[in-house]
Amino acid sequence: MIRLLLYFFLVLCIVTSFFPILWMTVSAFKPEGEILSYPPQWIPLHPTWSNFSYVLSKFNFARWTFNSVVSAVVAMIIVIFIDSLAAFAFARMRFRSNKVLYSIIISMLMVPIQVTIVPLYLMFANVNLLNTLIALILPTTGNVTGVFILTSFFKSVPQDLLDAAIVDGAGSFKIWWSIMLPLARPSISAVAIITFMSNWTSFLWPLVSVSSDASRTLPVGIAQFFGGQSGVSGSAPQYGPAMAAALMATIPAVAIFLFLQRYFVKGIMMTGIKG
Amino acid sequence: MKSKKKSYKWVPYLFLIPYLIAFFAFRFGPSIAGFFISLTRWNIVGQAKFVGFTNFVELFKDPNFIKSLVNTLYFMLLTVPSLVIGGLLIAMLVDQPLKGRMAARTFVFMPYVIMSTVVGVIWLWIFDTHFGILNYYLGFLGIKPIAWLSSINWAMPAVAIATVWWTIGFNMILFLAGLQDIPNELKEAARIDGASSWQVFWNVTLPLLTPTTIVVVMLTLINTFQVFAQVYVMTGGGPSLATLTVVQYMYVQSFQYYRLGYGSAIAYVIFMFLVAFILIEKKFLKRFGDEN
Repeated sequence: MIRLLLYFFLVLCIVTSFFPILWMTVSAFKPEGEILSYPPQWIPLHPTWSNFSYVLSKFNFARWTFNSVVSAVVAMIIVIFIDSLAAFAFARMRFRSNKVLYSIIISMLMVPIQVTIVPLYLMFANVNLLNTLIALILPTTGNVTGVFILTSFFKSVPQDLLDAAIVDGAGSFKIWWSIMLPLARPSISAVAIITFMSNWTSFLWPLVSVSSDASRTLPVGIAQFFGGQSGVSGSAPQYGPAMAAALMATIPAVAIFLFLQRYFVKGIMMTGIKG
Repeated sequence: MKSKKKSYKWVPYLFLIPYLIAFFAFRFGPSIAGFFISLTRWNIVGQAKFVGFTNFVELFKDPNFIKSLVNTLYFMLLTVPSLVIGGLLIAMLVDQPLKGRMAARTFVFMPYVIMSTVVGVIWLWIFDTHFGILNYYLGFLGIKPIAWLSSINWAMPAVAIATVWWTIGFNMILFLAGLQDIPNELKEAARIDGASSWQVFWNVTLPLLTPTTIVVVMLTLINTFQVFAQVYVMTGGGPSLATLTVVQYMYVQSFQYYRLGYGSAIAYVIFMFLVAFILIEKKFLKRFGDEN
């Protein structure tokens, strides 16, 4: 009896989680006439690609996608590279300001991103870099979580391993590159996923730093989709194209997630550790 | 290196410099600069004028700011308990030896990878007053169509529903990890001593889950206080400012009215609230932990 109840809740969880995604998916294939049909139709009677072609031809959708992918991937590569270098120094090297510097960095975990937005805006406006991929990428490289996660991992690597390499004459860079990085692969994947996802979904900074349509990222582009908020202003919004756009923006993320599930989970658990 | 090998003093800095440049230029520097800007009156075109804490004083006399603050706290009141308790319950459910629990984990977490503005767009459609699927199904229960996003009373709960749907999987994962860290022997031992399932949960599982719970509550408080993108898409802060949140007010003041000093002051108030949440929670849970 209790088992039956548990299964009921299990199914309820699955259905509730999936229902909006499914509804978005089927709606994306409905012609205009069907989208506002009442009662709502789950299965499109005349499935069509027209919403997708509408989005791709009427909006800079391909360009937004390009901007999102490039900025997220480049930022991710930079972050892995510079964070792992710094983390290696913090975890394994002795220098005078080690502890002080590290605590300054960690203390920024508490400071919300919003306090940096106005200064960053002024900074990039001053050097005429608003509306560029550079403006989208650079600010995200000052990230703190990555250094924190990688430093704690590097600290856990046994010293014997490093000593052996030192005896073999390996220098610091060699140790970082050929011992630490391969060992840290799981942590690095987790940092990579956290960084990629936070840039991929980032909204406030791209909204502020980019005003030309061609330099928008997907989240900002999609937010402009209803031309502000016509959804509440009474005029019937174009839900068909909106669902097609939403679907196209969702598929890559869900696909990546399904392939790399365990790294997502690991990444989240590491975010949790930071407390 | 830690060994006493010939080491150059500058080597560590070689490793640190790329990151430190990024950190000080784009994270630390702007955070400090933001504070100084918050002490000025500055409308982007003119000169910045130092005004001390005037902006902060003004903020707490600004009815719209107070409204945004109240709205945000109301949003938290609607979401945090559901996200924490709901997340825990779902984690316990998918921790049971049930068929399909792996699928359930995947499905519950999946919305989390969808970007916030897409979440807004999807739910805008679901919540549509006349053609939305939610009102259609509620109709079967005899509920009259609700003007979800355009009524003052329902707009915030609607945003809250979408947000819980979107982020509950994140908390589920954290709780699940916490649950799986609890050694089974402890629960077994309690059961052998004659404890009921409820007693095992209350006296064994829950206390051992305290560290996880602290983290989950903290992250949930921090994240929900910064709610912005989905509101921006779903309601734009309306109707009649009913869903205006603090971050949105900061955005509007800074980048629509270009009151940079005022906007920065709001950002710093956000920061102070986050610090307060963390301190209060630490204190509260410490006491709770001591009693156990």
